[in-house]
Amino acid sequence: MEKKILEILSEVKPGVDFEGRTDLIDAGVLASFDIISLVSELNDEFDVEISVVDLVPENFNSVEAMAKMIKRLEDED
Amino acid sequence: MNFKENIFLIAFLPIVLLLYYILPKKARWGVLLASSLIFYILSSGIFTFIMLGTSVTIYVAGLLMQKINDNFKKQKSAEGITKEEKKLLKKKATNKKKLVVLAIVIINFGLLLTLKYGNFFLGMVNSIFGTAIPPLSLILPLGISFYTLQAVSYVIDVYRGTCKADKNFGRVLLFVCFFPQIIEGPIGRYDKLAGQLYEGHSFDYDKFMKGLQLMLWGLIKIMVIADRAGIFVSNVFEKIYDADGSILLLGVLLYTIQLYADFSGCMDLVKGIGQLFGIEMADNFKRPFFSTSVNEFWRRWHITLGAWLRDYIFYPISLSKFFANLSAKAKKNFGDFLAKFLPSAFALFFVWFINGLWHGAEVKYIVYGLYYYVVMMLGLLFEPLFVKITNALHINRKSKPYFVFQVIRTFLLVNLGMLIFRANTLADAWYALCAIFSKFNGDIFATSILSYKLHIYDFIVIAIGAVALFIVGVLQERGHHLRDEIAKRNIVIRWTIYFAALFILVIVGAYGEGYRVADFLYAQF
Repeated sequence: MEKKILEILSEVKPGVDFEGRTDLIDAGVLASFDIISLVSELNDEFDVEISVVDLVPENFNSVEAMAKMIKRLEDED
Repeated sequence: MNFKENIFLIAFLPIVLLLYYILPKKARWGVLLASSLIFYILSSGIFTFIMLGTSVTIYVAGLLMQKINDNFKKQKSAEGITKEEKKLLKKKATNKKKLVVLAIVIINFGLLLTLKYGNFFLGMVNSIFGTAIPPLSLILPLGISFYTLQAVSYVIDVYRGTCKADKNFGRVLLFVCFFPQIIEGPIGRYDKLAGQLYEGHSFDYDKFMKGLQLMLWGLIKIMVIADRAGIFVSNVFEKIYDADGSILLLGVLLYTIQLYADFSGCMDLVKGIGQLFGIEMADNFKRPFFSTSVNEFWRRWHITLGAWLRDYIFYPISLSKFFANLSAKAKKNFGDFLAKFLPSAFALFFVWFINGLWHGAEVKYIVYGLYYYVVMMLGLLFEPLFVKITNALHINRKSKPYFVFQVIRTFLLVNLGMLIFRANTLADAWYALCAIFSKFNGDIFATSILSYKLHIYDFIVIAIGAVALFIVGVLQERGHHLRDEIAKRNIVIRWTIYFAALFILVIVGAYGEGYRVADFLYAQF
């Protein structure tokens, strides 16, 4: 899953090395409109529904955090 | 009452602090509530009932949604209920909660729109239909633009389930009217702030001293830099058509310094007061003038307003079904880039329109918001082109000179925004912008600069102040925690710094003839 998320991230925001980063939101690497594109791609790819409540920095600061959120949403389904 | 007034600093605050720390921990939030109400009544008198009304509406809404949630949980855990029935129950409960949120939004934003924008809309009606309806004598309760956003965020958070409804009205009321934040924010969130307000904090010497330091720093920013620069700015913008382009340019630059020093200084003061009680309030500034883009600037300037607009306007619009359809259509009909750009452009329009309108009931504020919208959209649209150009010119976008170029570019764009924001009318702003380029005369600058009620000594103080702000900013950008570093020094150095700061405030602060205790600039919004 992490690999696929990395692929999506590099499409949404090319030219950034996302691996190992844990401050993607806090450091301003991903802006709010990047988040929206990312959410749309993640929803399509993993067939989940990321809601407004999920849009908090803790869920998007790293690839691992995104994977954890997606797994939780998949389990909730 | 104003935080800079002696009555607040010498009487109100010390008495509240004394009561807070001598009463039992359980009663301490009561001290904060009582003092916040007294502060509000002293500032707004009878109009306190408007703020109380807002608090009642959100309190009741919270309880209603909690009841809907509890009923739903009870019904869904009933025996023999199918998955489909559960889904239906959930949908019904959500719809009911949506109605509650809608009612709160209509009531509270209706109140804000009527009081703040009533005469603006009336003026528009008069000019469109040729009528002559006289303006209404409307009052604007203290902090209504700030506490309305904070109050509505509580209801939406309860709806979203990110916080639970509070059953105690006094606690909800304190969340809305906590006195340090009531004049101009920061716009707090229930999940981050409320718990800290209700918990009785023990006296912590280090935290207390750090709070005092921050207050002192805030007061220096306001009284040494902002209030002084404000005298020049007011005089320049009052007689804009008499001023040379060079004076207007300096006026805009000093206004940018004034607004930053005033607003961020007030936030230091507010955060410092919070720390005296052991309460950490949200950051509203993070060295905005080190931003490399306008987009970044707004993530570092008035952070809590930007975050509110993002969480309660931008994200809900962006994740709505309508938006998802728009996104899908854009993907089908345009390339990847436009598919990403168009939906964001659509959602961000509302954010920036509301941002502008929130600042005031004038067309210039709407233009101010939309100015940033246009700059950001152009930035997004031309980003691929910029990348191509810099690559072709072999410019390293990660180099220091390019960083400096980006910071200066952002600073200039922000100054243009400040001109729209400060000029009395849009026509004045346009005139000043043209004059800066077409009516620029160094000789007139030299002969007229001292005719705007500031002495040369004042300009030197402002310049030193601005350089000090810059140096502190550079150090903080490099990861220094200055207050912690001062606290680690020995007692002689530490107290020398404190007394020097106090000395600067007393000697160089803008007092006396020609000066008065100025209102905080952002309090008018």
